[in-house]
Amino acid sequence: MKTEPHRPAALPYASDPERPVPDVRRKGDAPLRRYRFEFMMMLPALLLLAAISLFPFVYLIWMSLNTVSLAGGLGFTFVGLDNWLQLFSDPQVGQSWKISLIYFACTVGTELVLGIVVALALHALHFGRHLVLSLVLMPIFIAPSIAGLLGYFLVDPVYGFYGWVLRTLGIFSGNLLGTASSAMPTLILIDVWQWTPLIILIVSAGLASLPEDVMEAAKIDGATYFQRLFRIVLPLLAPIILIALLIRSMDAIRFFDAIALTTNGGPADTTKVVAIRLYETAFRFFHLGYAAAIGLTMLIFTIVIAKVFLRALSGRELTN
Amino acid sequence: MNKHPNRRDFLRLTGASLAGAALYGTFGARRAWADQLGDDKVWKQCSGVTLNFISENTPPSSAIAANLQPFQDLTGIKLNLTQLQLGDVTQKVALDIGSQQGFWHVIYADPYQILAPYYQGLMDLNEFVHDNTLPQVPKGVDDFIPTQLDADGRFLDKKALYTLPYDCPTLIWIYRKDLFEKYQAKMQQALGFDPTPSGERTWEQYYQIADWFNKNAKSDVPFGTGHQARQYDSLMADYTSVLLAYGGDYFNNGQELGLYGTKTPGKCLVTSPEAIEATKFYKKLIAIAHPGSTSWDWDGVAKAFEAGQIAMMPEWHEYAAEFEHSNLKGKVGYSILPRGPKRSANLYGGTGNGINKFAKEKERRAAWLFLVWSTSPAAQLEDLKSKVGGGTPTRQSVYDLPEARAAMEQDSDMPNLLAAKYALEAWKPENIGLRPKISTWNECDTVIFTEVSKMLTAGQSPENTCTAMQRQIDKINKAG
Repeated sequence: MKTEPHRPAALPYASDPERPVPDVRRKGDAPLRRYRFEFMMMLPALLLLAAISLFPFVYLIWMSLNTVSLAGGLGFTFVGLDNWLQLFSDPQVGQSWKISLIYFACTVGTELVLGIVVALALHALHFGRHLVLSLVLMPIFIAPSIAGLLGYFLVDPVYGFYGWVLRTLGIFSGNLLGTASSAMPTLILIDVWQWTPLIILIVSAGLASLPEDVMEAAKIDGATYFQRLFRIVLPLLAPIILIALLIRSMDAIRFFDAIALTTNGGPADTTKVVAIRLYETAFRFFHLGYAAAIGLTMLIFTIVIAKVFLRALSGRELTN
Repeated sequence: MNKHPNRRDFLRLTGASLAGAALYGTFGARRAWADQLGDDKVWKQCSGVTLNFISENTPPSSAIAANLQPFQDLTGIKLNLTQLQLGDVTQKVALDIGSQQGFWHVIYADPYQILAPYYQGLMDLNEFVHDNTLPQVPKGVDDFIPTQLDADGRFLDKKALYTLPYDCPTLIWIYRKDLFEKYQAKMQQALGFDPTPSGERTWEQYYQIADWFNKNAKSDVPFGTGHQARQYDSLMADYTSVLLAYGGDYFNNGQELGLYGTKTPGKCLVTSPEAIEATKFYKKLIAIAHPGSTSWDWDGVAKAFEAGQIAMMPEWHEYAAEFEHSNLKGKVGYSILPRGPKRSANLYGGTGNGINKFAKEKERRAAWLFLVWSTSPAAQLEDLKSKVGGGTPTRQSVYDLPEARAAMEQDSDMPNLLAAKYALEAWKPENIGLRPKISTWNECDTVIFTEVSKMLTAGQSPENTCTAMQRQIDKINKAG
């Protein structure tokens, strides 16, 4: 039976500083051989990871280089970079990216500002804070598809409460989800309603962990509320806010459920975000190779966004 | 000795009687089906097989799901019925045919979204029709309404038969009979024609009636007309009925393409003067329709009608059952759609059921048994009476039954037949509206409803709408 590499410190003679420690590793041993036991322990997890993540990823890349046909059985025809070239010259996909970026910027931006403001207001509450926080957090416990349906019915021009309120006040008598100019703002508001509480939750956790002594010292030194907010609180909260932004950004760019259920990209394609375009290309037109290319660009975008936030986060930690 | 039966004896007798009655009922019902459909042994040949049937969530499938026991008793086959939205059905069928797994044995094969692109994955049913060891289609396939048999069941080869017609929703004119009766005289005086809906009315008159309701009957109904004009299949259907009525079409020889399909549709013709005229009219019409129209599909507009928001609409005729079970019972009237300069074009939305070519042989035979049973006159009559909605028959013989004839004229337990009288008129070759049966239809359909939606909600002109449709459809079909 082969013995595993020893940890010298565990041996009795290791306590003698004069005695040379024998190096049980041989020169030229591959890391795999040296850590064979550890590797064997990790192997099931690695295989599982490969099966559920790496294999589909590689398969997706392969699909993006092929025309995939379903009629008459699954068939692959290698087309090289054709799908990718088509992707970068397709004005409809370009338009969907533009809509996605608008949706991304508006939802994440609004949620961030509102989330911080509400979290600060809640933090200032002395009574009933937990009750109010519980009520405020409720929307994030609703499935996105249900939130979409709820929004759809609330703004319906026949039955919808908000539709009725706007009509009664003489503000808007049209169809919020059926008019090109109002469909996207309505969807943004549905998203803001559902996901601002997530920012509130994260920022509230950050506020609860702020050092009391620093805050008290600032008060004693005569700092006003806004001075404390902008010079102490927000800088201390920055890493947490960045994490909240990272989570919401990754979600927002892939968001699908509520849009699919409410407008499905309409009217006039004004809400056809790239996730809806991807679904349509894959499962309505069955251009699976082209859809794979669109999906991979979404993945790349998400990775880039994550990298940007993580870099900002690590830069801030270094500064601190 | 007690001469009277005690409580226990009574319960025993009652239990035995009920069990006997149930057995007799089951056996009797099975015999009734077998008598109508043929030899009992022939129906038992696939006993023990489990079938998977995938269908759109339509009224006939709901009716079948609620009444599967007779089929299981007759054949010994277990049927798993999965009902989904049509897009999801298409997706699952495409992946199943692509993988050649044959998981879905019976397929609800929409002629445009499933049959045209995936006909190679469906059996030619003639193989079963000519097999003497299998039950035959009662009254033969010629009993199916001819336009439906061709539109649902055939693709390219006029002899091959891929599906048996299963449901047949068709766009007709549905209106508030009570309101039309109330305002008939006033409207006639103001508009100068009899406003009562019929095939004699024109689309222009439909517009005038809607406009009159908007201006003169607000206390009874907020808007004259409502439409299924959401950026979705429903918008294509609503718009296409007007397009065809005006003499426009997507491709040359449109009716032939609608019945038998093609792989090479040729150049798109949607920029013809007739098509542009129709598109201009459609924009004008939706401008005075209920503002909710641009976010409603067929369900949405039906709900608005039920809620008293609109006086009339083009809608699938199978919604009649829903209306006749609502607070509008007895207040709804039906007619074929108005005429355009060319004709009345009532868009057909029916579908047939087919058999997966990649299923095992015994499963394919079992699937045929289900097809014959589910489209038999007896099953279609049962569907009509179903409490869960039911469809309308695809067979002429059912409409010829005396009880069906009577139900077309008066309230009965088969409310869909009130609208079916007009659907029968709509299915005549001169009135039926057919979209092109081509393998690229899903993409063309998306182009149509997207561009028309841009016209309705984003100010795109009718001319630019037609040009954009033509350019993109030609690109899809490589016919530029």
